[in-house]
Amino acid sequence: MERLMEDKITIHIDGQEVQTEPGKMVLEAAIDAGIYIPYLCYHPGMKPFGACRTCVVSVVDGRGMPASCTLPVQDGMVINSNVPEVNDLRKSIMSMMIAEHPNGCLTCHRIDICGPSDVCLRHVSVNDRCITCPKNERCEFKDTVRYLGMDLESHLDYNYKALPLDLKDPFYDRDYNLCITCGRCVRVCEEVRGDSAISFVDRGGRALVGTSFGSSLLESGCEFCGACLDVCPVGALTEKENKWEKPREIKKTVCTQCPVGCQLNLELNEFGRMIRVVPELDSPVNRGQGCYRSKFGLGYLNTTTRIRHPQIKKDGKLENVTWDEAISHIVDKWSEISKSNLSVLTASDSTNEELYLWQKLVRTYMKTNNIDQSTNIQPNLTDTMQSLLGVGASTGSIWDLKDSATCFVFNSNITEEHTLVSLPIKQAKKSGAKVVVLDSRETEMTRHSDLWIRPFPGTENLVLLGIIKIIIDENLIPDQDLQQRIENLDELSAFVKSMDSQDIYNRTNVDEEELKTAAALLTESNKTSIVYSLDTIDIDKCEQVVGNLINVSLLLGSLGKKGGGIYPMRQGGNEQGAQDMGALYGRLPDGMLLNDSDARHKIKELLGMDISESSGTSLVGLPDSIANGEITSLFLIGELLNESHPAIAALKTKLKDLDFLVTLESYPSDITQIADVVLPRLTFAEKTGTYTNLERRIQKITPAMDHKNNESLSEVELVSRLGGMLGVDGLSFESESLVMDEISSAVASYNGITYDLIDKNVQLVLRSGYDMPKPTQELYTSYKSLGVQWPLNEQLQSTKILFEDDQKFSALIPNATSTEDIDNYWLVQGRILFMDNDLFSVNEAGDHNVIDRPDVFELNISSAQTMNLNQGDEVTLHTEEYDANGTVSINNELPVGVISHTSLFGELAVALQNSEKVNLMADVPKLRILSASISKKG
Amino acid sequence: MVTETNTFESLVSDAEKRWDELNSGSKPWIRIGTALCGEAAGSKKLLPKIQNSLVSLGIEANVSEVGCIGLCFAEPLLDIQLPGQNRIFYKNVTEDDLDQIISTHLRDLSVDPNLAFLYEGENDLADIAKLESHPMKAQEQRISLRNAGHIDPYDINQYMANGGYHALNKALFEMDPESVLNEVKDSGLRGRGGAAFSTGIKWSFLASNNAPDKYILCNCEEGDPGAFNDKGILESDPHTVVEGVILAGYATNSNYGYIFIRHGHDGPIERTKTAIKQAYEKGLLGDNILGSGFSFNMEVALTGDSYVAGEETALMEAIEGKRSMPRYRPPFPAQVGVFGKPTNINNVKSLSYVPEIIRNGGEWFSDIGYEQSKGTAILCLSGSLKYTGMIEVPMGLNLKDILLEVAGGVPDDRNLKLVQTGGPLGGVLNAENVDLVLDYETFRNAGAILGSGGIIAADDRTCIVDLTRSLIAFCQYESCGKCFPCRMGMSHLLEVLERICDLEGTDEDLDLMRDIGENMQAGSLCGHGQLGFNPVASAIKYFPEEFSQHIVGHTCLTRVCNNQRFSPKRTRR
Repeated sequence: MERLMEDKITIHIDGQEVQTEPGKMVLEAAIDAGIYIPYLCYHPGMKPFGACRTCVVSVVDGRGMPASCTLPVQDGMVINSNVPEVNDLRKSIMSMMIAEHPNGCLTCHRIDICGPSDVCLRHVSVNDRCITCPKNERCEFKDTVRYLGMDLESHLDYNYKALPLDLKDPFYDRDYNLCITCGRCVRVCEEVRGDSAISFVDRGGRALVGTSFGSSLLESGCEFCGACLDVCPVGALTEKENKWEKPREIKKTVCTQCPVGCQLNLELNEFGRMIRVVPELDSPVNRGQGCYRSKFGLGYLNTTTRIRHPQIKKDGKLENVTWDEAISHIVDKWSEISKSNLSVLTASDSTNEELYLWQKLVRTYMKTNNIDQSTNIQPNLTDTMQSLLGVGASTGSIWDLKDSATCFVFNSNITEEHTLVSLPIKQAKKSGAKVVVLDSRETEMTRHSDLWIRPFPGTENLVLLGIIKIIIDENLIPDQDLQQRIENLDELSAFVKSMDSQDIYNRTNVDEEELKTAAALLTESNKTSIVYSLDTIDIDKCEQVVGNLINVSLLLGSLGKKGGGIYPMRQGGNEQGAQDMGALYGRLPDGMLLNDSDARHKIKELLGMDISESSGTSLVGLPDSIANGEITSLFLIGELLNESHPAIAALKTKLKDLDFLVTLESYPSDITQIADVVLPRLTFAEKTGTYTNLERRIQKITPAMDHKNNESLSEVELVSRLGGMLGVDGLSFESESLVMDEISSAVASYNGITYDLIDKNVQLVLRSGYDMPKPTQELYTSYKSLGVQWPLNEQLQSTKILFEDDQKFSALIPNATSTEDIDNYWLVQGRILFMDNDLFSVNEAGDHNVIDRPDVFELNISSAQTMNLNQGDEVTLHTEEYDANGTVSINNELPVGVISHTSLFGELAVALQNSEKVNLMADVPKLRILSASISKKG
Repeated sequence: MVTETNTFESLVSDAEKRWDELNSGSKPWIRIGTALCGEAAGSKKLLPKIQNSLVSLGIEANVSEVGCIGLCFAEPLLDIQLPGQNRIFYKNVTEDDLDQIISTHLRDLSVDPNLAFLYEGENDLADIAKLESHPMKAQEQRISLRNAGHIDPYDINQYMANGGYHALNKALFEMDPESVLNEVKDSGLRGRGGAAFSTGIKWSFLASNNAPDKYILCNCEEGDPGAFNDKGILESDPHTVVEGVILAGYATNSNYGYIFIRHGHDGPIERTKTAIKQAYEKGLLGDNILGSGFSFNMEVALTGDSYVAGEETALMEAIEGKRSMPRYRPPFPAQVGVFGKPTNINNVKSLSYVPEIIRNGGEWFSDIGYEQSKGTAILCLSGSLKYTGMIEVPMGLNLKDILLEVAGGVPDDRNLKLVQTGGPLGGVLNAENVDLVLDYETFRNAGAILGSGGIIAADDRTCIVDLTRSLIAFCQYESCGKCFPCRMGMSHLLEVLERICDLEGTDEDLDLMRDIGENMQAGSLCGHGQLGFNPVASAIKYFPEEFSQHIVGHTCLTRVCNNQRFSPKRTRR
């Protein structure tokens, strides 16, 4: 602590004493202290830029008027900001800006009372009116003009740029006539998102922001994350949807589109409609960033065609009933069928409290383990981790990845599916970290990688073994305490030493040099993080794959290191919570494995309930269970997302075979049409509860939106009533908070976690007055909501990194590997942000841009010869799921037997923009590998 | 150590042998200037013609391309040296003259005084003037340009035969880095890029940084209209700069050098690339230079046309492959420079002096020059002058003398109206105020900048408002657009100037321009904006009556003002 005190230095800003640290800039110190200095190009969370010069200050005994955003603090500095000489310079600079920005209303005395359709007595044209600007109420530029108290007595010529508007790209509207070229958008795209889809163009007085050669965003490498819209100080960049709507109220929530759990601010209009999503700047999870799904995919919250009342199917038609009728109907029906034939599927946005209650219902009433989550398409993602390490969760936090020296991304399309996880990796890469990608598919991460290992599909595990073999054979371990880390090191060494290297190279199509490079990059230090998913891994290889990833981590000693660790990439928004609550297939509360008899015993002790030894039904196994009559009744919570996935598609076709289907759903769908009972459900934005994200952070949500004309019950109340009618004890709770109290005693890793603790675990953020012009994101923050990361220590503090105290683990001893089937052809799908421009064109279709690009199927020359195909041949591709036409392209870097098909993210963005689905982002197709064949056309 | 020295000695003796062979061997030696000035005058086209003539006459001769000897007005400048005899120069050679010159000189072995321009050598000729007696040459003292126009820039041997890389050899084997640094400090050399900061002190900032990777950058962006000496040095004698960069690397214990040249300066680019390649081949660059244990690597870096890329931090951005926009400081380049590594950046001219300073000692250099401005000034004379070209004269000469004597005054019986120095940001001086000693402080006090050494003279046919508009149009177009005061201030200044040129100016316009100028000066991020008002300020200061003629009298007496538009697109006022 003493050292810290020494590091503090004191400066004076406008007579106020400010404590700060060396390395900060004066503007940052002022913002921290709640002192307002005007700024337009600076944005919290980004490096200073020093362009707009509105933050100029005068330094006593200093030279000139430096910009405070680029002026490092020095002890004893005396700064004057709000003094006439400084404000005069600011005004002069602003007056030059006004001459380039529509300004008709800026200094009009009527600005507060004028409506968009009022006749303007001063004859200000529509183009020049603030009142007709989409950012009118959130415009930093206007606010700054008014803050400085400027009049419009300028002799400068007014210059309207009269540029055409860019309105044809998905999600974004761009009007560069309003742009003040502050460069925030360019910098957030490059510095924070690592995309560089936009840039400064032209120079001198014409300098502006745009894409290279003025191309559409569809071809410039834009990931449609919306970060540029969030930082734009003026109306140049805006969301297409609800562009003209003004926010009346801002409510905080947590996104459930993926397990990252970004904190979001929902802008609501006067009717309580959600009009815009602004990621929370001071969130420890997402640091002001979002993604295409959170930014543009939550429109479904506004859908008015909700299920409003409980309904029971009578004579083939759904009829409105009361909750009591509906619940007693369910109880009656359930009593008619064997309890072991019942199953429950929870939703990706079910809260921890709900999940806990549902699993408790299943285990106490049905006395089975028939519960799973409807997004759990990788059921054994963390099973091996649980059995080897004792936890099935990321060992570090998301932003610790920025400290990685090497990041190993395994079979995971993080830029699309867990966008926020890719940000620290891209940023680490910029500051010199290495990225190794092991994936048969071409994804955006492969473009950011230093090494992309592209094995023959199905041989990923063999590649891992090859890497482990090189690490052990060549003794590449960064520090030599191996015996301290791994109990069965000798056994592991013996196994890999017995492997034949040449056999590995031949079967995986990865040559010795690549494997050696991979081993060298991974072992550069012990700050090697592993981010993995099992997107294209066969179910029977999952245990081995995960085990070998853990083996790599144990060999490196990267567990428990900041920048090291293992990060499993889950699917559903609260899948981590489902696992922790024991509501995931094969799991007990605290994530313990169901097949672990000690764990079952422990739960029996704790909860006093007998745990069945039967494994229960999984989402993946459910279609078969329905087909063979094991499951005849299903309680389905939420919709079935990601219909394009075969497991989900199969389940959907089997639902009609059920004897009794209850759905708890917010929106009518084809599933609610065939259900026997339909119950209205709250959306995540209407609930109270907690979510656990992939970094083990438990975040609390409170209702952000009202549910009007809608009888939805909280699920805690629903389960209480259902439990009461079923005659089951221990399910009756009066509030979510009480459920959490029980969780904190029943789930070891949640010990000590209460709503009180989460509510208290916030940091106040000092802000200058609310009338001061500031970026939208900054205005929406008043405190930093930290959540808690389980497990808590004795002082009830979060654990950011697991295993910081060195522990000894056993490695997984690999199996003798089976041979892979390479007689087949595999279609390997890929999707990237940026492609060579001559491979496609962007054309206008009505009022929007579309990408015209023929499907290209890439093949190795010998595969092509076998099928008698040549470069450029028109062919038809056949898979079990669909047929597609395209042309052949020869790519000899591919293994024999692989057909690679990479598409452009822009195509997806256009499809999403034009999609009519309610929850449109839920159906973003995953990149999969399919058995395929090709035939020549005609 | 002995063997390594022998290696260098053998390199030099080999080079000297070749040099002697050229000068007094069996064949005549023809040299033709193909630097930018020569090329512009058509000298490249003459090269094949020379070969044709030689073939048709059946004469064998060595033909070399050389750089710029300084007499740019006389280009294409060709000279012929018979073995062991005088060099005879022929000026403004055309394709028609060529056959006659070659046949008289090489076949008839006689020199026609009507054709010949100057001679250089020990045998006095009566009817031809001596090179040293030419007004442009008479007051010259060549240090940096010592080899310009004399040696073939594509041939490292010619450089080495004339003392090249001796300084490097001396530094590596007889001096430690600190004493090299001290020599440069003692010399009093100041940066020739414009800021005139002590080169030695600048190097010591980098030398005191102990980072493992450090960079030396050499700046040949040279985008100033009227400045061509950086290009001229690299074109005429690239090795002196290469050697200077290596010496800077040795003195500061750096390990990598970039010579940064603006894209499109093809001559300098090609010659510098060749020079670096040859230096690597001779073991003067790369790992363990001459066996000394010191390693240094170097390459040429290019960027697209951008004037601001000459600003040191923008140049670093450009080398990193980004849009060349200046960074804020601190951190200064000696802490965080190119690729985030400590960096020193010098102008071509500054570095070109270094080999001679190390060879002859800092004291030798500090004896040349004037007060605080040591050494020589390398000036580019252009515009309305009788003799235009590149000269290297000791600091302390008078600008007026240079204009009237060295450059021969204004031709066509016109009067000198103004001089524009130090690039477009340097401002103008009227004819009454050119009585200035060549010295950084004197120039600064007069409100002008010696800067890059470009001196453009204009006669009384020039309209000052029109000229100022052109300068500001240049500055506006070349602003990077990053910081608001520069980007918008330049546009607004240009708009006002265009209004005055249209004879539609108003009484407030001068005040308006002053307001804008003050804001630019106070608010801009880099020198481009901070100095951007200089041309207007100096024009108003020295030619107030001409502005009022335009604004009040609505007349342009020189009748050159037209309504040409340079400002960014304006839709309405």
